[in-house]
Amino acid sequence: MMLLTGGSACGKSSYAEALCLRFSMPRYYIAAMRPYGEGSEEKIARHRTMRADKGFVTVERYTGLSGLLLPHRGIALLECICNLTANEMFDEQGNIKDPFDAVISGVATLYRQCRHLIVVTNDVGSDSKGYDPGTRAYIRALGRINATLAGQADHVYELVCGIPIPLKGELLP
Amino acid sequence: MLLIVGGEGSGKRSFAKTLGYLEEEMADGILDHRPVLFHLEQMVFRDPECIDSLLPRLAEKELILCNEVGSGIIPVDHRERLCREATGRLCVLLAGQANCVVRMVSGLPMVIKGSLPCRS
Repeated sequence: MMLLTGGSACGKSSYAEALCLRFSMPRYYIAAMRPYGEGSEEKIARHRTMRADKGFVTVERYTGLSGLLLPHRGIALLECICNLTANEMFDEQGNIKDPFDAVISGVATLYRQCRHLIVVTNDVGSDSKGYDPGTRAYIRALGRINATLAGQADHVYELVCGIPIPLKGELLP
Repeated sequence: MLLIVGGEGSGKRSFAKTLGYLEEEMADGILDHRPVLFHLEQMVFRDPECIDSLLPRLAEKELILCNEVGSGIIPVDHRERLCREATGRLCVLLAGQANCVVRMVSGLPMVIKGSLPCRS
């Protein structure tokens, strides 16, 4: 399993997709981003265009990854843990629950069905704005999930300006 | 072209000076004749639509410094999100063209692409 982290628009998706293309096996794109808020449709459309003709089967799954069944063993790209965590944590009625188990067991279920899994996440704990308690709880939950996934992953890279910086494991040639 | 990225106050300009660049050679968020441009992110935040037209002019610079603005909670405000993403994408494009990319952390330069140029 590989974990890719980095800030907004640092080239994580492009790098992950290019990596998937190196393998000739079924390619799955697990999309966790729920279309919500201004600009989300455009972002989803942009990512969809990027994946067009790359042979990805897109599976939209906003929560409950533990119940996901992939038809074949191949390579999966899960994007991204920040969305999945938020979806598992907050519901539309404003309830908050700890997303840790759902995200971690969901990723484990996905990984069992894949030959290779690339997981994209984001670093959201590095700013100084005063957030409400719910957002602070989200930041901490995502930090804990990222640390757990990094512990499980063979490779962890941070993407900076499209350049992978190995944080764990060797850089793939 | 050399690209230096890093957080606010991470030591980008101080490091540029150790490479031999003078304060008066550095333009603060404007495109002019000077060989160095810093605060690139402020130019993008003024007009996030401008990145395609900026790219060829930026490619003529010797040195570009840009704050990393993509970390932290993704802002609720649509324009702020667009600006952060435009800055990130522009840096990916610049890094692709750059001979050398340096990332500053706590004043320490980390060369993440190529090797540092010797300025004669």
